[in-house]
Amino acid sequence: MTERHHWLNKILPSPLAEDGNAADSEQVYTKFSRGLSVILLVLVLVPLTVLSLLSHYQYKELLEEEEMDQLVLNLEQAQSTIEAFITELQSIIKFVARDDRYEELLNPDELESLFVRLKDEYPGFADIEIIDPEGTQKAYLGPYALGGHNYSEQTWYKEVLLRGVHISNIFSGFRNVPHFVIAVSRKDPRSQEYWVLRVTIEGKTLQNFINTISTSYADDMFLVDAEGITQTIPQKYGNIGEKCILHDVEEKEVKFFDGDYHNQDGSTEKTQRILIVKKTFKGMQINHAAIDLVETPWRLVLVKEQYLHAATWVQFKVKLTTMFFSSVVVAVFVILEISSAITNHIRESDKKRQFLYREVANSNKLASVGRLAAGVAHEINNPLSIINQKTGLVQDFMEFSEDFPHKEAMAEALDGIQNSVERCKTITHRLLGFARQTDAKTEEIDFHHTIREVVDFLAKEATYNQIQIEFDLSQDIKKIWCDRGLLQQIFLNITNNAIDAIGRDGKIVLASRKVGEDSIEVTISDNGPGMSPDVKRKIFEPFFTTKETGKGTGLGLSITYGLVKKLGGSIHVTSEMGKGTTFVISLPVKRSV
Amino acid sequence: MIKSKVLIIDDEIEFATTLCQRLKLRGMAAIDVHSGTEGLVSLVKMNPGIVILDLKMPDMSGLDVLAKVKQHDPSIEVIMLTGHGSAEAGAEAKEKGAFDYIMKPVDLVKLVDKMELADEKRSKA
Repeated sequence: MTERHHWLNKILPSPLAEDGNAADSEQVYTKFSRGLSVILLVLVLVPLTVLSLLSHYQYKELLEEEEMDQLVLNLEQAQSTIEAFITELQSIIKFVARDDRYEELLNPDELESLFVRLKDEYPGFADIEIIDPEGTQKAYLGPYALGGHNYSEQTWYKEVLLRGVHISNIFSGFRNVPHFVIAVSRKDPRSQEYWVLRVTIEGKTLQNFINTISTSYADDMFLVDAEGITQTIPQKYGNIGEKCILHDVEEKEVKFFDGDYHNQDGSTEKTQRILIVKKTFKGMQINHAAIDLVETPWRLVLVKEQYLHAATWVQFKVKLTTMFFSSVVVAVFVILEISSAITNHIRESDKKRQFLYREVANSNKLASVGRLAAGVAHEINNPLSIINQKTGLVQDFMEFSEDFPHKEAMAEALDGIQNSVERCKTITHRLLGFARQTDAKTEEIDFHHTIREVVDFLAKEATYNQIQIEFDLSQDIKKIWCDRGLLQQIFLNITNNAIDAIGRDGKIVLASRKVGEDSIEVTISDNGPGMSPDVKRKIFEPFFTTKETGKGTGLGLSITYGLVKKLGGSIHVTSEMGKGTTFVISLPVKRSV
Repeated sequence: MIKSKVLIIDDEIEFATTLCQRLKLRGMAAIDVHSGTEGLVSLVKMNPGIVILDLKMPDMSGLDVLAKVKQHDPSIEVIMLTGHGSAEAGAEAKEKGAFDYIMKPVDLVKLVDKMELADEKRSKA
């Protein structure tokens, strides 16, 4: 037997020892079955679980990545659209504020006609003012009577002089309406001084634009300034003019994307970075993407609740879960079945093995006892002959002698000796017959005739004891190839035992039937007292007898067993206390010797 | 009454002498020897009509002795004694010319019956 690993041995106990107690062995089998189930379950469930979790996270990551890409794409599109819009506004304003129009625009009529033209283009233009190089408002056209302001100390004014253009935050200011300002500075060619054209645009212009471009992809899109104050109306996340409510929410994961900035000459440079932040807001996972808009103080914010692919994701999760749990259920069921089947198989094999082992042990015992018996019988036979002859001689002498005291008693004693010798002779001769190794002499015989012959031989004794003998012989059996003498001895022994077992008043049934093409089966049943399991186990052992001392040798069934084996058959017995005993003898129809 | 002289050949001395004695008691001319060789010597000396011969002896097997006896005088009838219950050996002996065989322990009545038959056969011949 190959050595198994220690741990395996612990879980899977080794097969049963030859003589296992039934309760113990059941425990061993239960343990084995459980151990096997556990091993198989671990083998199946662990990889299954790992695989499921792996695909769960892998797919989730994939979806998130895709979503992220989508978000970046959307953001970039929105960014470029807004930037284009702002650029367009700037261009219009730059166009109207040609360098040399300073003087011209100071004329209210000219300013008005310009303003009208601008309003035609974009109705959102609220007012327009011209500021002289000293920073003083020189002309104003708009709904509010504003005049004479000096902006020279204001930041935006300094910036416009420095950079040529300024775009302000959206603010309500003293007009109390959200608006933002675009200012451009121009160099008067004559005075070589910078003048400024400042245009106020209503905030709703930008708002409308944002509303127009916001797609169904994003859950919210709005602009914030550098301090995080919202510039346009968020649909979900906060109010305009207040600090964006997502601004201070704890960040979970930050990702940077390098944005491409397209210059006007067609070249691209990596300038901006898109910032994507994963946040948890009111229990919801959101992606918060932001990018600074070029040349504006604004930052475009796109909010996307995870996940766009919710349906896909849920579907996948449902599928995965269903698959996982159904696999688990099937695996558990199949594994339990398998281990139970394997255990049963082993149990059966063990039983068979034990049975065969006993059988072999029995055969060996029979053979060795046979050899021993033959030797002993031979050795005893010679002294027995001498006793027999000496006794005979004394008997002879007595016969030829005159009467003398106690002659009759002596004669009786000698008869007793002779009878005992006779009994010993029977035993030794049976023993010798038991051990005799002769080949079966095969001939074609009428099977049923042979059985009836045997029974005829016993019929007288049976009738004396009111024992009925019945036949139930199959018509399918005609002639078989067998040894008549051995066959007779077998049936004689068993039938004789049945008669002895019944004692008085009973029935013996001899039945035969064909089992397949090559085999017949003879059952000899009696309704005698039956045997205890203990007796049943020993009946084929030599010298085992239930008969009173002197009546049986205890060799009949052991010899019968040997004879049946010699004929290539098998013999089995079933017996129940109080119900009788049945011997079943299987014999081959043809015995090749 | 058996007229032929009887030679008993058996290595079991006690058995042979007792049997011999019993046959003598029945009025037969019997002699017993205890080995095959002795038996062959006696065969020549006494010229028996019937030989009672044990099958198994230490010096020569009963079958060998049987062959010698038959070789010496085919008219001598041999009754084999088989001690080990082997009917086959007896049957083989019969094939090789023995008159009959009888199993040990010997039932004297049966033996005498057989001897009478043998004697009859001899007297007819």
